[in-house]
Amino acid sequence: MKTLIKIKPKTYAVGDIVKIDFMAMHPMETGMRKDKDTGALIPANYIDEVKFLFNDTVITKMVIWESLSVNPLFTVSFKVPSVGTLKVIAKTNNGQSVESSESITPKG
Amino acid sequence: MERRSFLKSFTAAAACVAVLPRMASAADEAKKVAGPNEMSYATALAAITGGKAVVESAKVKVEAPEIAENGAVVPVKVTVDSPMNEKEYVKAIHVLNTKNGNARCANIYLTPANGEAFFGTRIKLGGTQDVVAIAQMSDGTFLSAKQNVKVTIGGCG
Amino acid sequence: MRLLSVSTALVCLALFSGVNAEEKMSMSDADKAMYAEMLENNPADMDVVEGKELFNALTSQAVYGQMLGVKEKDLPSYIAGFPRFVKPAGKVVTLSQTLQMAAALGAKSVPKLESKEMLQMTAYLKSLANDQTTNIDVKANKQMQEMMKLGQEVFEERRGGRGLSCNSCHSPDVIGQRLRMQPLPDLGSKVNASAGTWPAYRMTKSETTLLDKRFQQCMDNALLAKIPLGSREMVALEVYITNKTKGNPSQIPGLKR
Repeated sequence: MKTLIKIKPKTYAVGDIVKIDFMAMHPMETGMRKDKDTGALIPANYIDEVKFLFNDTVITKMVIWESLSVNPLFTVSFKVPSVGTLKVIAKTNNGQSVESSESITPKG
Repeated sequence: MERRSFLKSFTAAAACVAVLPRMASAADEAKKVAGPNEMSYATALAAITGGKAVVESAKVKVEAPEIAENGAVVPVKVTVDSPMNEKEYVKAIHVLNTKNGNARCANIYLTPANGEAFFGTRIKLGGTQDVVAIAQMSDGTFLSAKQNVKVTIGGCG
Repeated sequence: MRLLSVSTALVCLALFSGVNAEEKMSMSDADKAMYAEMLENNPADMDVVEGKELFNALTSQAVYGQMLGVKEKDLPSYIAGFPRFVKPAGKVVTLSQTLQMAAALGAKSVPKLESKEMLQMTAYLKSLANDQTTNIDVKANKQMQEMMKLGQEVFEERRGGRGLSCNSCHSPDVIGQRLRMQPLPDLGSKVNASAGTWPAYRMTKSETTLLDKRFQQCMDNALLAKIPLGSREMVALEVYITNKTKGNPSQIPGLKR
């Protein structure tokens, strides 16, 4: 699962509230779609949990359902406390998981 | 010249006919399969609130298009106007739909570290319906807001 | 004659019944702004990132530029001018086809035009031309002039059981009229900048799509036999459509309904 983390704005200081955008390349299969050729149901396969951590402390935990769009986007706010590492862990209903991280480097 | 442009209009209409059969019919509706997480809006709401009252509030803001370009990708943003400190904060933002098979979209559990109660995403909507945001406050109360989204089927595939 | 007038009425009804409801059917400025904002988090960005890795595994900007006889620093502006005549190919080619050339040159396996890696690499390559203007030159040489002429023929040729051409739905005469509630786009408009915004993420398909692949999807919908990717006719069509947006900014990946 390919993922992408963006921090907006790109430059920020300690105490600023930034937006964290997390995108994942995932089909978000609902389990209700049929294969066009075979007519068989495509099994449900969706991201069901996303956790945002800063220096290994959870800042936001999300329980996700199949109603989210294909290649979903998750945006939360974050008040920058210091230099550190942001980690995002996404898990699917099939038990697959992916971990991505981005360094938090406030200016000034 | 008028005749020419009329002829062109006609072919555009023909193209329109060509793609019509793709529209969902009532028969398709009956054949619809139940998803693995089927849950009505009322049940989903009760599961979140445990039966507590939900107050519609201007403090909760749901931003979603009034008319969606496409039901498969509907941008949704939820903001809750509230302090975010240890004493008083928004514990969770729940995003629901009113007519999909599964009314639940996302349950976002926030902490004061967020600095601001905000959640942005994109959801799938199976038809015209409301997108509802429920804010679960640290004092145990529930606030809500909603936005109706019209989903049109149209255009070229 | 009587039959004709009946069908005239029907057609008018089909095409213009939406006029009164115009306001309700059209998106508000606030709605449009929300979608414009989505460009900042375009799922296709992930394809561009992956395309960069694939491109660097296949070749390098220096080697790629050398192959085409272009200095590395001039690549962005050069890329904004595709499809163009490329000497080592001896013909007018698309950006994707130059990647096939690069693969062959490096004795790597040649990616198919339909493949996902080709889409991703092409997206990355075209992203190098972001902030440039589309500078296709259909008068640059004999080959381009021929392709431009052929492209117009392909665009206007009626095909299939219903006798439709690209021009049937995309002639300036019908732009803005609605096809299943959606206004028909102006392929030459500055606003949607068309050619310069492809590859784009198609929300309808939930996937990133190349311009020529989009042409095929359009042909499919109009029940026309699909013109193969990379064929002379398909490249010519891309030349013709791209030329309509000459001077518009090149900014990819786009985001389309």
